[in-house]
Amino acid sequence: MDTRRLAHHEFPILGRAYFLGGRASTSIKQVLREAGVDDAAIRRVAVACYEAEMNVVLHARSGYMALDIYSDRIVVSVLDKGPGIENVDLAMTPGWSSATDEARALGFGAGMGLPNIRDQADQMEIQTAKGEGVRLYLTFKREVNGDGAPATGDGGTSG
Amino acid sequence: MERLQPVMVGRAAEALGLTACVEANLDGEIAGAQVSDLLSYVMAEGRRGQVWITIQTHPNIVAVAGLAGMHAIVIAGGFEAEAETIARAEEEEMGLFTSPENAFTLAGKLYELGVR
Repeated sequence: MDTRRLAHHEFPILGRAYFLGGRASTSIKQVLREAGVDDAAIRRVAVACYEAEMNVVLHARSGYMALDIYSDRIVVSVLDKGPGIENVDLAMTPGWSSATDEARALGFGAGMGLPNIRDQADQMEIQTAKGEGVRLYLTFKREVNGDGAPATGDGGTSG
Repeated sequence: MERLQPVMVGRAAEALGLTACVEANLDGEIAGAQVSDLLSYVMAEGRRGQVWITIQTHPNIVAVAGLAGMHAIVIAGGFEAEAETIARAEEEEMGLFTSPENAFTLAGKLYELGVR
């Protein structure tokens, strides 16, 4: 495996700030586009990052997302200071959520967060315990050309 | 079967009588639509160039639409966009419109226009 790391970025996430949610993910999408990552990978990372970011916003006091771009993959690490997940299997069940009524009224808390992340990432690892926050590590493979160089995006301008 | 003509955001906004909060992507061709108030659903199902019809009004809808690469959000049912939502849509160059009509009616009209 080609393990050259090309870039590293970190983005803070503020807990409970529902309306700021998505800013870190939007920044990550921008960085990936500027780095010439293929559109399909960008989309998968963006969807997973948004869900992970909103999990921090909805459930934790604070956290951050780290983005590492390698020549053959993208790694996103999401670490928060929050209550942790007591039962990961339950949290992975589509439709299950511990979000508040307030959050649900705003369209959050559909119980699709972790399942969406699992669907988008090639690898997903959760380290958590009750009262100890959540550490989520996601890996996304990149489309690469035969010579191992990253493929360029399709040049799309929207989104 | 007659081939459907592309429908641009600007033309759809005019045909549906939408009120513009942020006029962006007016020349963008609409590539389908989503009707939902669940953000995670739209995050998973939303696609580049689509329009999103919702009754959510808070700024996070702009983040979702932007991440999904959508062209515009239409807030249905007579709800008004929050000031922060408008500001964020301007910042992210996301089309943002409102309408007194409900989501069902707006979706039907978009379909009639030829959006698929």
